[in-house]
Amino acid sequence: MYIFLCEDSIDGIFTGVYDAWASRYGHANIALTTHTPDNYSLFDEYITVSCDPVKSAKVARTMYERMGGEAYQELCQAASAREDSTSRKHMDKADAIYKTIVLALSLPDAGKVLNYLGEPYVRRTFQLSRSTFNEAHHLLGFLRFQELENGILFAQIHPKNDVLPFLGEHFSDRLPEENFMIYDATRSLAVLHTKGNGFFITDTTDLNPEMLSRFSPGELEYRRLWCAFFDSIAIEARKNPKLQNQNLPKRFQRDIVEFQRDNSGGALF
Amino acid sequence: MNTIQMDMDLTQKLTILSDAAKYDVACTSSGVDRKGNGRGMGNSVAPGVCHTFSADGRCISLLKILFTNECIFNCAYCLNNRDSDVRRASFTPEEVCTITLEFYRRNYIEGLFLSSGILISPDYTMDLIYQTLYKLRTVHHFNGYIHVKAIPGADPELVERTGFLADRMSINLELPTADSLKKLAPCKSRNTILKPMRQIQNRITDNKQELAVYRRAPRFVPAGQSTQMIIGATPEHDFQIMSVAEGLYQKFSLKRVFYSAFVNVNGNSMLPALPGGPPLLREHRLYQADWLLRYYNFKVSELLSEDRPDFNIFLDPKCDWALRHLEYFPVEINRASYQALLRVPGIGYKSAERIVKARKRNSLSFDDLKKIGVVLKRALYFITCSGKMMYRTKLEENYICENLMRDKTQIPRDIREGGYQQISFFDKELQSDFQLTNLEAIGICETQ
Repeated sequence: MYIFLCEDSIDGIFTGVYDAWASRYGHANIALTTHTPDNYSLFDEYITVSCDPVKSAKVARTMYERMGGEAYQELCQAASAREDSTSRKHMDKADAIYKTIVLALSLPDAGKVLNYLGEPYVRRTFQLSRSTFNEAHHLLGFLRFQELENGILFAQIHPKNDVLPFLGEHFSDRLPEENFMIYDATRSLAVLHTKGNGFFITDTTDLNPEMLSRFSPGELEYRRLWCAFFDSIAIEARKNPKLQNQNLPKRFQRDIVEFQRDNSGGALF
Repeated sequence: MNTIQMDMDLTQKLTILSDAAKYDVACTSSGVDRKGNGRGMGNSVAPGVCHTFSADGRCISLLKILFTNECIFNCAYCLNNRDSDVRRASFTPEEVCTITLEFYRRNYIEGLFLSSGILISPDYTMDLIYQTLYKLRTVHHFNGYIHVKAIPGADPELVERTGFLADRMSINLELPTADSLKKLAPCKSRNTILKPMRQIQNRITDNKQELAVYRRAPRFVPAGQSTQMIIGATPEHDFQIMSVAEGLYQKFSLKRVFYSAFVNVNGNSMLPALPGGPPLLREHRLYQADWLLRYYNFKVSELLSEDRPDFNIFLDPKCDWALRHLEYFPVEINRASYQALLRVPGIGYKSAERIVKARKRNSLSFDDLKKIGVVLKRALYFITCSGKMMYRTKLEENYICENLMRDKTQIPRDIREGGYQQISFFDKELQSDFQLTNLEAIGICETQ
C-alpha cells in the first residue's frame, strides 16, 4: 500500500489526489490520509504530499467540468469537514474523497456520483459534505456582527468545520456596502470584506484584541433593543428551554449576543 | 393617547409591539432565492434561515412586529382587541425601517414580518404598511425578506401595490368555520378574508405569465401566500381543520397553512380555559398531517373521516395510516416505486429520494438504509431488503402498534417533557378512541 499524507485543507487533499493519480501505482494500492499516523505500519510506503496550488487547481477544474457545479461544491464541503477520530479509523476523509473522484471519472455521468450512497466511500463523502453544509447553514443565521468604533462589522465564530469560504460568499452578497470581518477562532482565520469589493481569507496572527472590544456608540443600544425583542417574542405559556437548546446547540450560544448578556460590555438589565 | 406615545422610547414600543405580534406563528423566511443587487443590503435564500430560538423553542427568523396594536376590531381571542386593557403603541414608518436595517446588518434577523392592528380603518392601516415597505425597498434599498399581512377589508389596489414590495403575504383565516368566525371575530367575515386571498392568488398567477414574457418584470409575492388557523379555541374536529387546509392548498394555491395552539390570553368566558396549557400535541399532529399533504401525496380522506374525526394522540398520522392499511406492506426497498416508499413510516421524502437514486447502482441493505437516514425502528415492520425482513416480525396491527408505542419519539420529547402537562394525553374520551386497552402494559403511563 502506498499512503499519501496530505495537508488537511481543500488544496491539500486535491494535491494529494493529483499526486496519487499521477503516481500510477494503481488505485487499489493507494490510500490517502490527512492525519500523520501514530504508528507507521511496516509494509506500507508513506509519501508526504506538499500542498501545491497549481496541482490543486487542475484537479478542481477537472472536477468542476466533469461533475458540474453542484457535485463539485459537495466535494469541497466534504474536504472542509472536520473528522472525528472514531470515524477516521473507519474511513479517512481524504481517502473517501479520492475514491469518490475515481468512481466519478469512471462513470458516463460523473455528476451523479453522489447519488450512489450504497458505496461506502460515497456515503462517507456525502456525510462529511452534509456536516459542513449544515453547520454553514446554521451559521448563516447564528452568526452575529458587532459594530466596532471604526464602523467595521466584526463577528466571531467557533465552527467545527472549515466554513469560512461559504460564509464569506453569502455575506459578501448580502452586505456589499459594509466593511466586515468574520473571525474563525478555532482556526485563527478570518474572512475580510471591504466595501464594494470581494472577500478574502487571511490568517490573523496580528489581530488586535483591544480594538475588538471598542464598540460604536450605537452598538450597545441596538443590542439592548434586540434583547428586549428576543425576550418579549417568547410565549410564556409555551416556555420550553429543552427545545430551545435542542434547536440552538450550546456550542453556538457562546458567540450569540442574546445568550451572552453578562459579559457583553457591562450589565444590560 | 398621543402624549403617552410621545414619552415612550423605542425599546418600550418594540417590547409592546413584538409582544402583541407573537401569537402569529408564521416566521419562516423561505420560498424565494434572490441574489444581492450590489447596493444597499440584502439577499434571500430559498430554504429560509433561522437566526435564533426564543425561550419557547420557536424559530426567530424575522423581526415580527405589529405596526400598531391599536385596533377597532373586537376579536375575542386577540390580545389587542378594542376592549382589552393593554398598553397601546404605534411605530412610525421611519422607526420600522431603522430597526429593520440595523438588526439586519448585525445579522440578527432575516427580514421583516409586519402585521398590524386596525387603526382608524382597514384602508388607512394598509396604506401605512405600504408606506413602510415602500421606504424600506426604494429609499433604503433593503433587499431582504419581507412578510406582510394583508388587512381584511382593505382596498384591493393597496393590497396589490404592497404585494409588489413583499416576498410573502398572508391573511389569517383565524378559525376553520364561518360560524366560529362570526362568533369570535364579529368584525371579520369569511368574505373579507377569502376575497383578498383570491385576489393575491390570481395576481401571482398573472405575474408568472408576465415573468415568462419579461424576465425583468416586477415580481408579485414571489414566496407565495400563507395563512393561519387557531387550534382549540372552537369545537371543530381535526377532520374539519385538515379539510379546510386541503381546500386552501388546492383551491387557493397557498404555500403554507400554519396552526396555532390556542392560548387564552384574555381570560374571555366565551373561550375554553385550557388548564393543561395550549394543545401542543394536537398542534404537532396537525403539522405532521400537513406535511403528509404537501410532501407525501396523502389526502385528508385517507387520514381522517367523519367516523374518526380526530388524530390518534399516541401515534403519528403516518404510522396510524399504515397500521390501518397493512395490505400495502411489506414494501421491497430495492423495487418499490417512489410513491410506495413515501408511504412507509420512518422513510422521509429525502430518504425515499436517496433510496431511489442509490439503488440504481447497488442493492441496498438495512445497514445502508440506516446510514442513508431511514428511521429503522419505525420502518422495519413495513419493509424488506432483497426479500428479507430485518427481524422476525408479524405483520399484524396490534403487534406492530404495541412495538411502535415503545418508541418514545411518537410523542416528541419537547412536548413530553415540556414544563406544562398535557391534560389531553389522559383525556378519557380520547382513550376510548384508542385500540389498546391496557395502557400500562406498553409503558405509556411512564410519560406522565
